[in-house]
Amino acid sequence: MELFKPEFGLVFWMFLAFACLYFILAKWVWPFIIKSMDERAGLIDKGVAYAQEAKSKLDNAKAEADALVADARKQQADILRDAAKMKTEIIEQAKAEAAVEAKKVTDAAQVSIEQSRKESEHQLRQDVGAYALQIAEQVIRRNMSDDKAQRDLVKKLLTEVESNN
Amino acid sequence: MKKVITALVALVILALMAWGYVQNAHHSEGHDKGKVEPKEIIFEHLGDAYGWEVPFSHTKRIPLPIIAFAQDGSFHCFMSSKVTDGDTYKSGDADFKISTDEDGGYKGKLVQVLGDGSEYRPWDFSITKNVLGILIAGALVILMTMSLRNWYKREGFKGPKGFKGMLELVVEFVYTDTIKPIMGKEAPKYGPYLLTAFFFILTMNLLGLIVIFPGGANLTGNLAVTMVLALITFFVTNLTGTKHYWKDIFWPDVPIALKCPVPMMPLIEFLGILTKPLALMVRLFANMLGGHMVVIVLIVLIMVFTGMFGVGVGAATSVVSVLLSLFMLVLDTLISFIQAFVFTLLSTIFISMAHIHEESKAITE
Repeated sequence: MELFKPEFGLVFWMFLAFACLYFILAKWVWPFIIKSMDERAGLIDKGVAYAQEAKSKLDNAKAEADALVADARKQQADILRDAAKMKTEIIEQAKAEAAVEAKKVTDAAQVSIEQSRKESEHQLRQDVGAYALQIAEQVIRRNMSDDKAQRDLVKKLLTEVESNN
Repeated sequence: MKKVITALVALVILALMAWGYVQNAHHSEGHDKGKVEPKEIIFEHLGDAYGWEVPFSHTKRIPLPIIAFAQDGSFHCFMSSKVTDGDTYKSGDADFKISTDEDGGYKGKLVQVLGDGSEYRPWDFSITKNVLGILIAGALVILMTMSLRNWYKREGFKGPKGFKGMLELVVEFVYTDTIKPIMGKEAPKYGPYLLTAFFFILTMNLLGLIVIFPGGANLTGNLAVTMVLALITFFVTNLTGTKHYWKDIFWPDVPIALKCPVPMMPLIEFLGILTKPLALMVRLFANMLGGHMVVIVLIVLIMVFTGMFGVGVGAATSVVSVLLSLFMLVLDTLISFIQAFVFTLLSTIFISMAHIHEESKAITE
């Protein structure tokens, strides 16, 4: 049974072949393959981590964008509200100013009216005086045809003036 | 195109088979017709030889170099074709032939014929069929692994495709998924040995399944081959073993009564050192030998039945036999991988067990 009896020559060659094979592979092949595979596994892990990070970042970015939009909306609303407020304020102010102005104008008008009135009063008085004088002249001219009447009148007038003063 | 190639290959194989059959028919005319010696056929195919069969011819052999040291220590080297068919070859002052003596114990081996006619078995370092098979397997392993290495060197992090991708998958399976979890930090130190053993065994196993040259040598089904592999694991295990490993063998943690007056446990543990490589050796050997033997027996059945019951029964048997042996060969392909893996896995476990430290043991307890 040759199979069960290890042949020395075969053992020798087997050992030699395995030793050479081990020497070659252990020196040049396996360390390089193992290193490359480990490195690639590391790279893939890193890639996955990076992708996950990017995804979470993207999700965050969406949330951030949403927040930004909401903020902008809020600001817009604020601005609109402010603008409305400002508008009413301006209108109010304008109204007040207009009122003031109108009052001024009215006042001025009143003053001028007063003045005109006074002036016209004065004029009227003068005119009335002049008319009265003319009438009085007429009357006097007609009545002063006799001396008695003249003296009476003078007397009367003088009395009047005295009582007036 | 593919179909044409397949048809051509099939035609060539059929022609070769027919030619081989005719040759054999001529050859066997001199023998007892129809007499088949199954045992001889089986062991001839499983054993070593000084030449390699030419495909489909039973008589032609590829000559291989015979290297031997004669009784007087002189060195002799010649081709095996010089000593085939029982010829005696005179190399220098020594006569060599292949023994045919049934009782001498050297049947089928190279012997030196001494002056008194007795046979002397010289130191035989011949490149036999098995040795050449081993060298071819080694060269194939170097070619395969080098191609993977060159891929990494050239392509960097790009994943290899096709055959290299398959190689990478196997390396990943053996190293990353098996050796690394067991060995931990020590994986890069022992990984190269274990991976080399795995690929060498796997290649030898698979080469053994290919019927024609350069396959067909029953390498891992030979005790010498598995013995060398098991011995290497044995030496790696025991020469790198830690103090704690040796303490566990000669002074294990068992009640004193079991180890003090009669060193029963130490004896059992010490036997364990020896049985581990023995188991490795026999497991691989028996599995591969068994696979080969079943296939050969199934094929030999055709001839046996033809001899016994005639051509009709033989033809019917051949259909069954070929189908069954095809199934066995497919199974053997699986076994080739499994046995290579089991050898590597057990070697890994044995080596890592020899590297046990006090603190790591404390953790497992």
